[in-house]
Amino acid sequence: MNIGILSKRTTMLTGRLKNCLESKGFNISIYTLDNLVINQNLLNQDFYILKSKNLFFLYAGYFLEANGIPVIPKPDISFIQKHRIHSNFLMKKIGLTTPEIYLGTIDTFKKQFSVEDFPFILKPLMGSGSKGVKIIRTLKDLNSKGKTILYLEKFVKGIHYTVYFIGDEICTLIKPPLSDEHVDMKLIETPDDIQDLITKWRNYFNGDLLFGHLDIVREESNNKLYVVDPGSFPEFTNWKCRGSPIENICKLILEKYEYIKKK
Amino acid sequence: MIKIGILIDKYHLENKVTEFLEYIKSKAEITIYIEESYLFNSSKFDFDEDLFFTKAKGELILAFIKLIEEESSIPIINSYKGTWLAINRFLNSVFLKKAGIPLAEFSLNPKGSDPPFRDFIIKNIIDQKNYKFKPIVNKVNGRLNVADERALNEVDKTDPKYNYLYYQKFIKSKWEYKIYGIGEEVFFYKQLPILVNPNKTESRKKIDDIPELKEYCYKAMEVMDLKLTSLDFLKSKDQFYLTDINCTPNFNYIKDGHKIVANYLLKQAKQ
Repeated sequence: MNIGILSKRTTMLTGRLKNCLESKGFNISIYTLDNLVINQNLLNQDFYILKSKNLFFLYAGYFLEANGIPVIPKPDISFIQKHRIHSNFLMKKIGLTTPEIYLGTIDTFKKQFSVEDFPFILKPLMGSGSKGVKIIRTLKDLNSKGKTILYLEKFVKGIHYTVYFIGDEICTLIKPPLSDEHVDMKLIETPDDIQDLITKWRNYFNGDLLFGHLDIVREESNNKLYVVDPGSFPEFTNWKCRGSPIENICKLILEKYEYIKKK
Repeated sequence: MIKIGILIDKYHLENKVTEFLEYIKSKAEITIYIEESYLFNSSKFDFDEDLFFTKAKGELILAFIKLIEEESSIPIINSYKGTWLAINRFLNSVFLKKAGIPLAEFSLNPKGSDPPFRDFIIKNIIDQKNYKFKPIVNKVNGRLNVADERALNEVDKTDPKYNYLYYQKFIKSKWEYKIYGIGEEVFFYKQLPILVNPNKTESRKKIDDIPELKEYCYKAMEVMDLKLTSLDFLKSKDQFYLTDINCTPNFNYIKDGHKIVANYLLKQAKQ
């Protein structure tokens, strides 16, 4: 069987995924932004793994799906998690709490925010992880051109968690605020409310969300959980729980493909 | 009195809707939300409009449309889906082709990788900003190579910066067909292609209905969930090819276009 992987890099989790699938006898091709051409020539694989959520990988995913080639995870699921407006509304719809979000130009913020409105977190509209993320304590922290629309989230003060899940296995870690997935994190036993939150999130996708992570903040003042960032395909760098993430991901993806094929 | 909210940017407000606003303000209570000066807050929802009309496609407007759709049943023209697909050129090409509408061949390639057809036109990836099509024409090794300045800027110079180019097969056509869909009504015009005459209004003329194009227009509106659109077609060897679709058409090109659009919105608001 021929499997394509859409990924911004060939190393790290993608490299390990390739090794895992090759060890099971499959032919693997990795498409990065250097060699991905999105046209009929892509339709030569049995299915694709959508590792990265860059716009062009998402385009490729939608193109493949429209042409009957399965893509795991589904492009729509990855897109919803990549686009902060979509993920925010989806979380609300499911009944999860998210920080208030604001969009506007720097001039609008200057006119309408007062000192007590701060702090905020500035984030790119399309993105995940900590890239482009910055705490905004005053208007002076915002540097942008006049017409650019900026995305701000109300800053939630509290304990920051990264919560991985692979299948039914949940792995909860405490992390430094605004850090990326790769800093050292402290494993804790998953609290019941986090377990419930992850179950709610996964259930919404009706079996299509095989793995992923949520960044969550427990607000200091009222213990409430806020989801601040979802991720459809983390590197699982800090997985400190049972089993090998790569073996389990490989297994879940292949099972999903067999299920799609039968359908 | 009917209440209509208009989501717009400064460019459209200053240049494209003067007559429309004058007319619709005499029929309905209008609130204007301008992208460049509006503060979007996800937890604030106190709108009591009967309908929203979008005349922009920037990020804040998209978020606003999403908010209306998620938090209310207020109709919004055009929808989030329609606007999002219309600005993502490659995605709308994929979905319209799947729906059976004949499209000029297209390919999305990293810079430096040639498309699988001889003559081509390079277009911008995300059609979100207000900008006129500025063609740069070259003949390279006998291949006709037309590029939109915006597309090249995206790759080489300014934001947004991508490593990709959207290639569309170049279709040689005597006329460019401009089709406007406003609800159930379809309007037909033709003009010389912009490469032949850059002044697009000079040669523009109203033409009789073309049933085939009418069918494509309805199909495209259905697939993309657009109530208001304009489509560009070229014709080669008796075959039409869709080359562009727009979610914020300039209805001033249609005779009494501002009234037709306003009356359509008022009718939808009453339903």
